[in-house]
Amino acid sequence: MNESSFNPVTDTIVDELRDIVGPSYVVYGDADKLQPYSHDEIPDRHYAHMPDVLARPRTAEDIAAVMKLANRDRIAVTPRGAGSGLSGGAVPIHGGIVLLCDRMNEILEVDEANMMLVAEPGVVTAEINERLAGTGLFYAGYPMSLETCSLGGNVAENAGGGKAVKYGVTSRYVLGLEVVTPTGEIVQLGGKLIKDVTGYSLVPLMLGSEGTLGIFTKITLKLSPAPRSSVDLLALFKTAEDAIAAVPTIMTEGGIVPTAIEFIDRNAVKLACDYLNETLPYQDAGAMLLLTCDGPTTEQVEREYEAIGEQCLAAGGIEVYVADNATTTERIWSVRRNIAEAAALLGEHQANEDLVVPPAAIAELVLGLEAISRKHDVFMPAYGHAGDGNIHTRIIKRPETSIEDWQAALPGVLREVYTLTARLGGRISGEHGIGHKRKAHMGQFVSEAYLDLCRSLKKAWDPNGVLNPGKIFDL
Amino acid sequence: MIHLDGSVIMTAMRIVVPIKQVPETNAVRMDEETGTMIREGVEAVVNPLDLYAIEAALQRREACGEGKIIALSMGPPKAAIALREAIAMGLDSGVLLSDTRFAGADTWATSYVLAAAIRKLGEVDLILCGERATDGDTGQVGPGIAAWLDLPVATYVGGIAGFADGVLTCRRLVEGGHELLDVQLPAVVTVVKEVAAPRLPTLRGKQRSRQSDIPTCSADDLDVEESNLGLAGSPTRVVKIFRPSVARQCETLRPRDESELAEACDRIVEFLQHKELV
Repeated sequence: MNESSFNPVTDTIVDELRDIVGPSYVVYGDADKLQPYSHDEIPDRHYAHMPDVLARPRTAEDIAAVMKLANRDRIAVTPRGAGSGLSGGAVPIHGGIVLLCDRMNEILEVDEANMMLVAEPGVVTAEINERLAGTGLFYAGYPMSLETCSLGGNVAENAGGGKAVKYGVTSRYVLGLEVVTPTGEIVQLGGKLIKDVTGYSLVPLMLGSEGTLGIFTKITLKLSPAPRSSVDLLALFKTAEDAIAAVPTIMTEGGIVPTAIEFIDRNAVKLACDYLNETLPYQDAGAMLLLTCDGPTTEQVEREYEAIGEQCLAAGGIEVYVADNATTTERIWSVRRNIAEAAALLGEHQANEDLVVPPAAIAELVLGLEAISRKHDVFMPAYGHAGDGNIHTRIIKRPETSIEDWQAALPGVLREVYTLTARLGGRISGEHGIGHKRKAHMGQFVSEAYLDLCRSLKKAWDPNGVLNPGKIFDL
Repeated sequence: MIHLDGSVIMTAMRIVVPIKQVPETNAVRMDEETGTMIREGVEAVVNPLDLYAIEAALQRREACGEGKIIALSMGPPKAAIALREAIAMGLDSGVLLSDTRFAGADTWATSYVLAAAIRKLGEVDLILCGERATDGDTGQVGPGIAAWLDLPVATYVGGIAGFADGVLTCRRLVEGGHELLDVQLPAVVTVVKEVAAPRLPTLRGKQRSRQSDIPTCSADDLDVEESNLGLAGSPTRVVKIFRPSVARQCETLRPRDESELAEACDRIVEFLQHKELV
C-alpha cells in the first residue's frame, strides 16, 4: 500500500461532504480558514501540512458516511479534536479531509448510580468536572492542557498528565467506546462494565491509537469519589540533583502515594514565572518539586502532606510551601501548566521531548539531560511528571545560535537524549504520542517484530489505509 | 513603638492587619431567582487583596528587624481558618471577632467593631488593610477604621518607600501617576496589588498556625455600644442584588470589495480615536 497515492479532493467530493455534514460545516478553498487545521501545538512548523477540506460532523453516522466515501475514492482522513497535541497526530500530512469533532461536544449522561459518564469526543476535558460539581464524583484525568484539550484527543493519545502517580492515565477510566471504524462501520466496544472478558479487549487497543484505528463518537468514563481535601506542596531544592533524588524516596519510603510529583528545573520555572508575571522565590532554587496529596478527609491529607513535606526538608529542601485553597493552589499549578506555552513563545526552533523511563531511573535521566545540555551548550529546560518517570525537555535554539548551526546540532543532541533514554530502559514518548514527529525513531525503542504486528493490525482494520495515514509507523 | 497619642517608645513595629474571609471568586454562583450569592459548598479564602496587606506587613517587620503582626478578622467561627492562613504566611498571631450580634454589619458597623478591637490591642503603629474585599467591593472599611480611631489614612498605596522617625513614606497610586505621602504613624494604610507580591505559606508556618491559639472576642469583650453592632447598627441596607445587563453597541462593517476596505479601516481608526484608544 503506497501512502502517497491518495486521490485529490474534488469539487464533487466536497459536494458529497456538504450533503453529509451540512453545507455550513464544510470549509473548502479558503486557505486562511483551513490554516489552523494544518498543525497542532508542535512549535516547529516544519511538521505542518494543509488539509484540502475541513468537515465538521455531528453524528457517528456522519463520520461513517465520510469514511465510506474516503474508502471509495481513497482519500486521506485525519480526525482532529482540539488540536492541542504535541506529536502531529491531528496533522493531515497527506492532505485530504480533516474531520473536526468540535460539534460533537455533549456530555450525554451522568450516571451517578454506576459512577460513570458518557460523553462525546469534542467535550473539553475541564468541562467534565465542572459538570460533576456537587455530585461527589469526579473524573481523575488531568492532562496539563485540560482547559483546551478535548476528550476524544485524550483517548486517542492516552493522555497522562499531572495526577497519574495516584490516578493513572486516561486508559484507566475508559470503559466503553462507540467507534467508527476506518471502513465506516459503527461498533460498540466495552460499555458500562467494570469487568468484561467477553471476547478480545479492544478498548485498550484504541487508547493511544492516535486516530489510526477508529474515530470515537461516544466515550464511557469511569468516575471516582471526589477527594474532599487536596493540598499542594511546592518544595524548593538547591540543585536539580537534590530535587530529583528526593522523588524515589518519597515514592517508596513514606508509605504514601502522592497524587502528583512534578519536577520543574530552574529554567522551566523561570520561563513560566516570567510568562505569568509570577514572583515565586525560585531565584535561589536549582529545581522544584510540586507535590499533591488528596483524600477523603482534611485530617488524612494533613498527615500525608506533612510527612511528605518533612521528607522533602530531610532530603535537602530549602523551603516547602503549602497551598491548600483555591488561590494558592491555582498559583502553583498555573506555573506548571504554563511552562509549555511559555516555552513555545521562544520560537519554532525547538524540539519538545516526552521521555519516559522506569520510575527508579528518573534521577539518572534528569542528570543525564543536564550533562547533555552542558556538553552541547543548548538551552534545555526540563520538567514533568517525575513520579511516573516521565520528563519533558525542550531543546531550544538560543537566539544567538544561527539556524544553520542549530539544524546541524539538533540531531546529535537528540541522538544522545534518545540513547540515554534507551539505556535506562525507557521509551520515546510517555504521553504525547508518536504521530509523524517521532516515527523515525521508533526502531530505536521497539522491535521490528512488534512493528510488524502493528502493521498487520492496521492493514486488517484499514485495508485502504485512509484513516490518519503516515502516523506512528510506516506501513 | 508609637502610642496612639504619638509618643515614640521603641523601633520595633506593632502592626495590625484586618482581614476578611470571602468566597473563592471563581466558585461564586448566583441564585438566579433571588439574585443572592450561593455560599453553601463554596470554598472560603482570605480576601485576595488582603494578602497584599499581609505581605506588606511582613516586609515592614523584616525591614525593622523585629516587630509583631496581628491579624484581625470579624466573622463567623470558621473565619479562624483565614487567620490561620495569615499566621502560616508568617504573621505572629490572630484574633477572631465573632458574635451573632456582629452579623449583617455594613462597612460602618464593621469598621466600628474592628476599631474597638484595635483600641483594645493597645499600642499599634500601623494598620495595614487590603484595598477592598472581593465580595463587598466597597473599599470603605480601612478608611472607616481610621475615622473611628481618628488616625491619618493613606489609601491605594502601591509601595512603601521608607520609614524614619515615626514617618512612613507611602507611594499612593492616583490616576496618571503617584503621590509620595509622608504619613505620621500610627496610621491606617490601605494597599493595592503593586505594594508587594504575597508569599505562600510554608510547611513550618502551617505547623505553627495549627498550634496557634486564636482568641475569640465577642461584643462583651469590647468597649462597644450594642446599638452600633451588626445589621441593627448598619445605616446602609442592601435593597436588591441583580446582575447588571450589559448592552453592547455593536457596529459591523462589511466592505463588499477591496475598494471599500480603506473606508472601513478609516471608520475603525475614527472609532478608536473617538474612544481615545489610539
